[in-house]
Amino acid sequence: MGMRRVAIVGAGLTKFVRRAQETGKELAYEAAKMALDSCELTLEDVGCVSLGTAPDAFDGVHMKGEYLSDGAGGWRKPVMRPYVGGGTGVFNAIHGWFHVASGLFDICLVVAEEKMSSCYPHPAGAFLTIFDHTTEQPLKPNLIWIFALEMRRYMETYGISHRDIALVSVKNKKNAMDHPCAQIPQEITVDDVLNSEVLADPVHRLDISPTSDGAAALVLVAEHIAKKITDKPVWIDGVGWNVDTAYWATRDLCYPRYVEKAARMAYEMAGIKEPHKEIQVAEPYDPFDYKELHHMEGLLLCGKGEAPRLTAEGVTARDGNLPTCPSGGLLGVGNPIAASGVMKICEIFWQLRGEAGKRQVPGKPKVGLAQAWGDLMQVGTVIVMKV
Amino acid sequence: MGITEKIKRNIDMTSWKDKIPVNYIYTVGIAGEKFFREIKDNGKIVGTKCEKCEVTFVPPKIYCERCFSRLENYIDVGTKGTVHTFTICYENVDGTKKEEPTIIAMVKIDGTDGGLVHWLGEIDSKDVEIGMSVEAIFKAKEEREGSILDIKYFKPT
Ligand SMILES: [Zn+2]
Repeated sequence: MGMRRVAIVGAGLTKFVRRAQETGKELAYEAAKMALDSCELTLEDVGCVSLGTAPDAFDGVHMKGEYLSDGAGGWRKPVMRPYVGGGTGVFNAIHGWFHVASGLFDICLVVAEEKMSSCYPHPAGAFLTIFDHTTEQPLKPNLIWIFALEMRRYMETYGISHRDIALVSVKNKKNAMDHPCAQIPQEITVDDVLNSEVLADPVHRLDISPTSDGAAALVLVAEHIAKKITDKPVWIDGVGWNVDTAYWATRDLCYPRYVEKAARMAYEMAGIKEPHKEIQVAEPYDPFDYKELHHMEGLLLCGKGEAPRLTAEGVTARDGNLPTCPSGGLLGVGNPIAASGVMKICEIFWQLRGEAGKRQVPGKPKVGLAQAWGDLMQVGTVIVMKV
Repeated sequence: MGITEKIKRNIDMTSWKDKIPVNYIYTVGIAGEKFFREIKDNGKIVGTKCEKCEVTFVPPKIYCERCFSRLENYIDVGTKGTVHTFTICYENVDGTKKEEPTIIAMVKIDGTDGGLVHWLGEIDSKDVEIGMSVEAIFKAKEEREGSILDIKYFKPT
């Protein structure tokens, strides 16, 4: 296709917290600076900035991308903000990839930030207008409705119990105990999840990731630059994204077909034929515990309805055959929306370089995947990475 | 029908009224904490300087946007500045007439590369000029609460 190969050579991540004192700009700076320092590049070397951040309504700043740009290293540089809601984090790296793969820039700084604590009484209030303003808003919906309705369809279709699903929350929160940036690392049991407060049945408090403040960043470079600055580049060899209908009554709620289409696009580009055998470590998007399972199936990492069994058998544990969310995921590390997608890419970057410390999965993985999801709950964004 | 028809009032059509119920608390941040504490406690304006780029930021930043150096030295930049540009406002945000016009100026703080947008006071709007020297007038210490409104306005020196 006449595109250049693109490598990730640096990554940066702030701690994810419920409430940060830092402004959004300051959070963006901390992650961006750490990413540049990690590969010994300076702002002067950066050709362009891709800045990802989810709804303006979270930070309460209109034109949030422009507001954040100087903290993200965008001073007098070409800056663009991609936006696909919750899928923004992974899409942001895809967007950075365009900039370098196209030949337009050699070095792109990819930065993602979210400061959800500005919004009160709760950032969920900012979501009201994602519901149809005449057919649904009059019903006074809250955000969790969407997930409760979808989770129940998933359980009903494949005969899955809440206990099966809660195992994901137990696994991810435990994985997060080894992550220095984690907001809610916890050792909990399936019963703890089932006995936690019911928010919108079947969704309980411990099925959900928290709201968070935080930022994450990556440095993407063209092949000839990568070879000069590191002997451990991590290649972005496949990217994919896809949206389904925004009419959710028309959509397949038990299976994320749009994630499958995004994954197939990325796999084809990366030459992956049997993803369940070839992907060695994965960070599927897990804002809710059932979503990790939903997404594993959409990503073709297992058959439909099979993800709970793999989880129960320990296949997705950090020392299993297909570790998922070794970082601790959104359930454990936290969920500052756009930043959490980039956090997942940071994790695969560190895993493939053998730099994940206590979180390192065994077997020196060579192929990994990160995925995010969002928009009106009908976008899938996928990236395949290799060493 | 539809787009080809001139519509004078959208409430004449079937519609649903709603609002987005969100409020915000904006933390002032790491640099903002220093900036507003100095205003509140000491009636001073501080900035941060990048020694490498020789740029002084007011309000202060924790980073130099030009070279990404971390900036940790907060310096007192005084309270005097120069009118860089200004406007005289006759209407409120809802379009109603103001009883008295207000003067809004961008004041470059002397000896720095930054400045503040604020009101001008103790001056007739006819007398405002670009380049005139002004200084910040603070509220009495007991009334200050760590807000940009702790500065009442800038007035001619
Ligand atoms: Zn500088």
